[in-house]
Amino acid sequence: MKIDIPHIAKLSRLWIEPEKMEKFETDMAAIVDMVEHLPDVDEALTLDAKHPMQLREDVAVEHKFRREEMLANAPEVQSGCLVVPKTVE
Amino acid sequence: MKLINKNAAELSEMLQAKQCSAVELTQEVLTQMDAVESQVGAYVTRCEDALEQAKQVDNARVAGEKLHPLAGIPIGIKDNISTRGIRTSCSSRILENYVPPFDATVMKPIRDAKMVILGKMNMDEFAMGSSTETSYFHPTHNPHNLDCVPGGSSGGSAAAIAAGEAILTLGSDTGGSIRQPASLCGVVGLKPTYGSVSRYGLVAFASSLDQIGLLGKSVKDAAMLQSLIQGHDKMDATSSYRTYTNLYENLNGDVKGLRIGVPKEYFGAGVDAQVKDAVWKGIRLLEQNGASVKEISLPSTEYAINTYYIIASAEASSNLARFDGVRYGYRAQSYTDLTDMYEKTRSEGFGDEVKRRIMLGTFVLSSGFYDAYYKKAKLVQRRIGQEFTVAFQDCDVIVTPTAPSAAFRIGENIGDPLKMYYSDVCTVTVNIAGLPAISVPCGKSEMGLPLGMQFVGNAFAEQTILNAAYGYERLVGGFSVMPESICAGGKNA
Repeated sequence: MKIDIPHIAKLSRLWIEPEKMEKFETDMAAIVDMVEHLPDVDEALTLDAKHPMQLREDVAVEHKFRREEMLANAPEVQSGCLVVPKTVE
Repeated sequence: MKLINKNAAELSEMLQAKQCSAVELTQEVLTQMDAVESQVGAYVTRCEDALEQAKQVDNARVAGEKLHPLAGIPIGIKDNISTRGIRTSCSSRILENYVPPFDATVMKPIRDAKMVILGKMNMDEFAMGSSTETSYFHPTHNPHNLDCVPGGSSGGSAAAIAAGEAILTLGSDTGGSIRQPASLCGVVGLKPTYGSVSRYGLVAFASSLDQIGLLGKSVKDAAMLQSLIQGHDKMDATSSYRTYTNLYENLNGDVKGLRIGVPKEYFGAGVDAQVKDAVWKGIRLLEQNGASVKEISLPSTEYAINTYYIIASAEASSNLARFDGVRYGYRAQSYTDLTDMYEKTRSEGFGDEVKRRIMLGTFVLSSGFYDAYYKKAKLVQRRIGQEFTVAFQDCDVIVTPTAPSAAFRIGENIGDPLKMYYSDVCTVTVNIAGLPAISVPCGKSEMGLPLGMQFVGNAFAEQTILNAAYGYERLVGGFSVMPESICAGGKNA
């Protein structure tokens, strides 16, 4: 199956260099051709009742990190806030 | 015999009997690192304070403090396990300079036991690969033949054990990422039951399949470290509530009466003849010593790789959406707007294999394809699990090859994703069904490369597979893990 790489890349927030496009198209087509070989299982997809998750209590959790610690890994910080490109005109 | 040739269980006894100190042991490991690391490339980050940590263990021992048996044993941590204050890069450019402000839950027992943390181990980028060649930093080389891959994705963790650059290591296993490199490097690798070791702080690849586990030189080592790291964690909603017993204290290598199931699907055309022969030889040895052997069938095995790549990639495409260049990690230098920043950051920050898997995941979850791929794969997943449940009614362990071949050459498969994916053909079913499995060395190929045998158990039957593997280890007179060239300090020694 031919995969529309530019479209899938856009959905994935990726950008593929033009010189790599052909290789990605060939590889993805081969991978999809491989993985689509699956049997038809005529059953409903239900949740696993045998292993239910233990839900935590709905209580507020105290912050254990300091602001500076959390911002130490950020690529761009100004006045204690994360900097991002303008999103509203 | 040098200290680094000994396994963790032996070293633990020596440390407790004061026959050696943690400083002596750590110094020997560091000297070995200086001698061979430039050829092996097992590490991405080394902890400069390792000797200082060792000194504190020795001081505590002299002061009469009651210490854990693993106190002072040097350990390496796979680079996708968050370590407070120690860079955790997942061998990716996008996290090249990321230093976690917190520890993964699994680090707490390791630090509390006063194990000596040596550094962070190289891996395939975000654990996506079977050869450690997709690391952004450098490939890792197999200590048994430096032209060959160590397997992956926990290739650094496996190579370090075989090269004497660590006594124990932590790895993670999503489709075979502990067991396949353990097999290719001739060491022991344990993938515990899903839910038995907390995943909190493990950088997520495929959350429903990922599991932290370990690598070492012997089954005793595996039992000791697993006993330390297993347990319930309220920070991980998929962590299992149950009573966890000490696997090391209960280790019993008697294989008399052990019921072994051998699934014919794991000995098919794609598996090298010498691998099949070596594993069958191991099975026969167990049989001669009182185990019973029965051929079984797990018919959905032929769909395992396909099921795995659909589920794992779907989860990866969602998990890796967090890397956006805003809160942490790499950000592209120039961009026009927010979307452009996301796209450039992720395209420059991720390698090609990670991009392929994100796009495959996006594709199988996208409108119009969900039912044909993801839903179908989830149904096959359930069927694979049911087939194991039926099989375990008649047997205690299932024995298979760990990898379909010995280590391949660096560069041999990297250009062909399908060939690379096939490396996991014997291991993925265990993750799909959430079961525990251990890989142990079982002989060498004609080229002198290690081969591995896998013991698979029912959910939470870690004790059963460890006992069976320990029985095998005793019958073969123990595993010789480190190749002679590396013992002597590598190529230039």
